[in-house]
Amino acid sequence: MTTVSDSPSDIASAEAQPSAQPTAAPAEKAGRRPRNLSRLIDWLGLLPFLAFVGVFLVAPIVVNVWTSLTPKGSFSFDAIGKLFAPQYVDAFASTINLSVVTAVAGGILGLVLAWALVTADRPRWLRSLVLSFSALASQMGGVPLAFAFIAAVGAQGSITVMLRDSTGWDLSDNIRLSSFWGLALVYLYFQVPLMTVLILPAFGALKKQWSEAAMSLGASRFQYLRDVVVPIMWPAVAGSLLLLFANSFSAYATAYALGGSQLNLVPMLIGFFVSGNVMLDESFGAALVTGMIAIVVAALSLRSLLERKSRRWLS
Amino acid sequence: MVVLDQSNVRPASSRTDARCSWVQIVIFIVALVLFFVPLVASASFGFSLPGQPFTLDSLALVGRDSAFLPGLLASIQLAILATLCSLALLVPTLLWLHIRAPRLLPVAEWLSVVPYVIPAIALVGGASLFFRAVAPGFLVSIYSLVPFYVVLALPLTYRSIDAGMRALDLKTLYSASTSLGAGAFHTLWRAILPNLKAALLSASLLCVALVLGEFALASLLLHSTFPVYMVQIGASQPRAAAALSFLSILGTWVILIALSLATRRSASPRTSRTKHASLKVGKE
Repeated sequence: MTTVSDSPSDIASAEAQPSAQPTAAPAEKAGRRPRNLSRLIDWLGLLPFLAFVGVFLVAPIVVNVWTSLTPKGSFSFDAIGKLFAPQYVDAFASTINLSVVTAVAGGILGLVLAWALVTADRPRWLRSLVLSFSALASQMGGVPLAFAFIAAVGAQGSITVMLRDSTGWDLSDNIRLSSFWGLALVYLYFQVPLMTVLILPAFGALKKQWSEAAMSLGASRFQYLRDVVVPIMWPAVAGSLLLLFANSFSAYATAYALGGSQLNLVPMLIGFFVSGNVMLDESFGAALVTGMIAIVVAALSLRSLLERKSRRWLS
Repeated sequence: MVVLDQSNVRPASSRTDARCSWVQIVIFIVALVLFFVPLVASASFGFSLPGQPFTLDSLALVGRDSAFLPGLLASIQLAILATLCSLALLVPTLLWLHIRAPRLLPVAEWLSVVPYVIPAIALVGGASLFFRAVAPGFLVSIYSLVPFYVVLALPLTYRSIDAGMRALDLKTLYSASTSLGAGAFHTLWRAILPNLKAALLSASLLCVALVLGEFALASLLLHSTFPVYMVQIGASQPRAAAALSFLSILGTWVILIALSLATRRSASPRTSRTKHASLKVGKE
């Protein structure tokens, strides 16, 4: 955010300069633009982009954070403090819970799939088929995915009906898609392949010489894993998990279409607030958004720190 | 799609022995089955009725619905407009930065990743707060979604175009063309843009895929686009919703496959900076 707020003042100071310039101008070589003027022109080219991003991205966020910090026109933490009422602590806790569950489960399964992709090369067509579909499935989500799951395991879904007809067992009684675990199941559909796709380059960067060197020095498979693979891979794995966490924390469409609006989740609360379905004061709605941004930004900033760390070995 | 690029994933054949290769095959088959289950289910649920193994009735029902076509057309219109706006905003800006002011590239790049960190649901919260205070009429028009879609697509579109330009030696291209007597417009049209075709195409496809699937902003700002329509009929006509979902998943896949062909065909091997360019499309 600093760059944005800096830039106008930068331009302003650059603008102020040329007026003071005439006295210095004769000293400049003819035909060579003064440095400050050239700098000003550089910024001018960036101006439309800055203005666009400023109006449609930065201003809404800044105004939102500002509103959440000034509930009654003056600076106070009242609105932020309300987030700590039990109902909202519960919303944040269950959203974090959902995100951690799907990130960890998706992470483990995604790692298994990535391991299989890296180590198997025998049926080549099968391997590349799985790779392509992982890439596609990692991009899925939103409304269509939700309805696909409702069509499969919803109350009238194909698989539910098939199982009910053949065994008499009702699947939809046990997994309701609009429940916490139902949502987690659907999220895993994109979280698992996303983990695979994110971690594959790191797997691919493990050099064959490292395992050969370790083995020739007498290391066992386990020792190689513990002393070489894990220390090198953990920042990449942890970074990917953080991305999965943020991915699921900010998901709205999938959860909404599954009927998850009955669940006490932060994105749902924000949705209620924006559509005006609940009477809330403006500053509190803004505080919810601020809280969500803070968590996602924290997760993704940590991820970029870890990425820097993992780039040392895996480049 | 960059992630489809297999070149950086070398199979470590030394570790593969017959003993464990069946484990991988089982994992592959389980993964494929699980990937396909919801798709096959949505197709079979959407295109069948009790007693009728295959029927297009549910789609015909939707076709007669007066709200279907406007929603679909609105989404297509928004996708085209958002793509054109993205290109109109980014191509001149990035050309300027690459040729004239590379010093400022990090500023623009930093800004371009910000939407990646801001969830769509948070952006809509801030946007409704800000615009209702500043310009109350603005959010009423459905076209007010366009600039927000441009912003949401920014991490994807910026990186595609930026990577395309980095792969070219723009400064040399520019001075070669101008030294041969071409004006700035001529250079842009005849020398630079043709070389950027693949980058512009992949940026456009990413933007289109994102807009066609976007739900949070459209629904909360009360505009009826295609995904919003699907949710509306979801409760009353689950079969039609399943059929539409199946078709739109297939549509997204066609776009993403086109994307991977477009990027693979471009002469420049993408750098690792663009690895994640394709992430987070169509889901928020």
